[in-house]
Amino acid sequence: MALRVSIGQYYSADSPIHRLDPRVKLVGSLAFMVSCFFTATPATLALAAAAVTAAIAAARVPFGRLLAQVRPIAFFLVFTSLFNLFFVRTGPVTLHLGILSIHRDGLWAAVLYSTRFFLLLLAGGLLMLTTTPTALCDAFECLLKPLERFGVPVTQAALTMSIAVRFVPTLATEADNVVVAQIARGADLEGKSALAYARACVPLVVPLFASALRHADNLGRAMDARCYTGHGRTHYHVLKLNARRDAPFIALTLAYLAVLIALRLML
Amino acid sequence: MNEDILISLDNVRFSYPGAAAEALAGVSLSIHAGEHVCILGGNGSGKSTLAQMLNALLVPSAGTVRVLGLDSAASEDAPAIRRQVAMVFQHPEDQMVTSISADDVAFGPENLGVSAPQIAARVDNALEAVGMARLAHADPADLSGGQKQRIAIAGALAMEPRILVLDEPCAMLDAEGHRAIQGIIHSLARRGITIVHITHFMDDALEADRVIVMERGRVALEGTPEQVFQQQETAQQLGLELPFRLQLADRLRAAGRDVPLTADTDELVRALASTCSHGQNGAPAAEHVETGVAEAHAGPGAALAFDRVSFSYASARSARKKPHFWQRRASKEVGPLAVDDLSFAVRPGTLTALVGRTGSGKSTTVELACALKAPSSGHVVVDGIGTGDLSRRRALRSRVGYVSQLPERQLFAETVFDDVAFGPRNLGLSEEEVRTRVEEGLTAVGLPVTDELLTRSPFALSGGQQRSVALAGILAMRQPILVLDEPMAGLDPAGRRTVRKLLLDLKRRGTTLLLVTHSMDDAAELADHIVALEDGRKVADGTPHEVFATAEHLPGVPAALAFARALAAAGNPEPLTALPLTLDELVCALTGEEARHGAAR
Repeated sequence: MALRVSIGQYYSADSPIHRLDPRVKLVGSLAFMVSCFFTATPATLALAAAAVTAAIAAARVPFGRLLAQVRPIAFFLVFTSLFNLFFVRTGPVTLHLGILSIHRDGLWAAVLYSTRFFLLLLAGGLLMLTTTPTALCDAFECLLKPLERFGVPVTQAALTMSIAVRFVPTLATEADNVVVAQIARGADLEGKSALAYARACVPLVVPLFASALRHADNLGRAMDARCYTGHGRTHYHVLKLNARRDAPFIALTLAYLAVLIALRLML
Repeated sequence: MNEDILISLDNVRFSYPGAAAEALAGVSLSIHAGEHVCILGGNGSGKSTLAQMLNALLVPSAGTVRVLGLDSAASEDAPAIRRQVAMVFQHPEDQMVTSISADDVAFGPENLGVSAPQIAARVDNALEAVGMARLAHADPADLSGGQKQRIAIAGALAMEPRILVLDEPCAMLDAEGHRAIQGIIHSLARRGITIVHITHFMDDALEADRVIVMERGRVALEGTPEQVFQQQETAQQLGLELPFRLQLADRLRAAGRDVPLTADTDELVRALASTCSHGQNGAPAAEHVETGVAEAHAGPGAALAFDRVSFSYASARSARKKPHFWQRRASKEVGPLAVDDLSFAVRPGTLTALVGRTGSGKSTTVELACALKAPSSGHVVVDGIGTGDLSRRRALRSRVGYVSQLPERQLFAETVFDDVAFGPRNLGLSEEEVRTRVEEGLTAVGLPVTDELLTRSPFALSGGQQRSVALAGILAMRQPILVLDEPMAGLDPAGRRTVRKLLLDLKRRGTTLLLVTHSMDDAAELADHIVALEDGRKVADGTPHEVFATAEHLPGVPAALAFARALAAAGNPEPLTALPLTLDELVCALTGEEARHGAAR
């Protein structure tokens, strides 16, 4: 049974994709996202689309939820495709619109770039929906571990990331409260010049900074109390590859990449 | 040294850099194994500093702290001390590092280097102990304050400490959350974990084996709860508020009744049930049930009226995401109406209490009342002005003031004067008038109007003073209607008394007040009228006596009524017929004294 708890972007469910080792999922998603840039023909584009569709189906995530994640960038997609549509001036002309003319290459570029980008976003969205922020941080930490030898504080960076994700809703609520309270005191943010606007923002920005500092202070103390030293930590979720769960996904990903490369080379 | 002693402090002194007075001025005490100790004291008495001494978060500038035989001043011993002395703080949200509850509980054991299967076992046990196993995978951001605090306690327990120090864990919680935490502390104490509980609530202290009262960095009083509270005058001088049952026993003895001076409900109930009632009739009841609410509904004279108001966050915007118009449809599934078909009216010059559990829609109602949100349907009318009427928004702002939760968090200016003057200046007043208003506001909250204070940074004030300055900033706008969202949350007894007095002063001067509170005692004591919400709908509306006589949907009952019910269950139903809601009324009902209308009424 799919347990539905609204956890930021994470969509809690039980599926082969949810159960994957987060490192495998992360690398797989990144590989797919890079591969999107190598789709250039209808065949390769269709292959990539098929791959991501299969992953979505396996993840048992409602497509609407996934689309909702991608939607904010839809504007950007539309804009780039329009740009391609009107400004690529190679290939035979297919349509005249006054001073504008649409060339066949432009049409194809519009379709290719927007589809590519759309698939890429879907893969990213799927990763976020099926992986908890903690698991993602663990995966990052584990994959970047070798960098520690060069003095990069990977463990701390991963924890910082997790704390940042954790405090986004807290700070957003507080920002809301501050705005509301200062408006009630007559703060006016509308219809002002840039300078006046900046000044009007002081009553909002100062309490927010103060509150961020207070959170940091309290959190630091609480982490001290819980014996955080930054080293010698173990992990609740031990990342371990599981042949039954992860091997099919790895095999399929590799097969997809192989076919994609083959299709590219045949051209 | 005694084996039994886990922590001992010997003449500990500590001062914060730049502070004039010492935070701890020679504290000596010891905590024994298996003990449940409560530490009381007003704001600034050194309680929190003391708590941080116990697990080496702070080390003394003079004197020694020994924990389990280790000297806290030796920095290499600090980790060993902290793994045995776990700590829970006041603000649950500031103790969490990840966005999955169970993963957060695992943070401590992870730091201790515990193996993965062990961590899993500890996390499960800890969540079970605080009754949160079901919500193990929830995002703390989606939990109520009480639930978050339970997760924080689980995080401390997962370290398997011998001692648990809790620093005002209930200060920010509603009655329900408070009860849950109290129950958890009680069961942990029974399991043999040594508890040090710092609190502002005297009823918490009654549960303890031993009470330590702090004042100005010193231990002022120490002993069992009975011993401490029996020294009433000293306790009151120290800013403590006696527990309700003791106040009752005291008042009854003063009225010549032979009852033991005890804080034990059962004992007191037994004493009262056996001494046959005086044969007084239930006359006070008739007197108390006021009948002035016939025109409670939106008459033209209402200062604030809600008419069939509904509000939905889905159709407005999600509190957690940036609003994009294309997201609206997607977020529609988010849930029921935050406020559903709500109608009520607040008569001019009265105090109306808005009560309900966390998430019942109180804060939304308040924001609707102050025109900070627009209703999805229905009308909110403030002093004859609809909140939807944008052309009269400025006029509306000058009529209704809003005191948000923890208003001190809105302080921003460089000086106290500028902060208090912010509202009046926005009203477009002359600088001379602004000065008058600032002085008036500060005087009303009981702060001295001196240049020293006016030119200070509000951030340099103590917590209680910050609250007062923030309140002064609203009062200086001199609005005839004030809406206050939990103005007493997080204050010590002295601070709560100050705010209570301020509310009564305001009412006496004719200000109309709408007060959101989770304290049923405050509602019973202060309000002329109570509106109760549940799941965004109105479930009760009337005088305190009407509301408490019938409604079952309230988040609690006043202590006096609870006591009368206990008495009735023990075979003396007579006081209950008078439906006593405050201490005064309960004493009247028990002694048959002529009703002494307390200052509250």
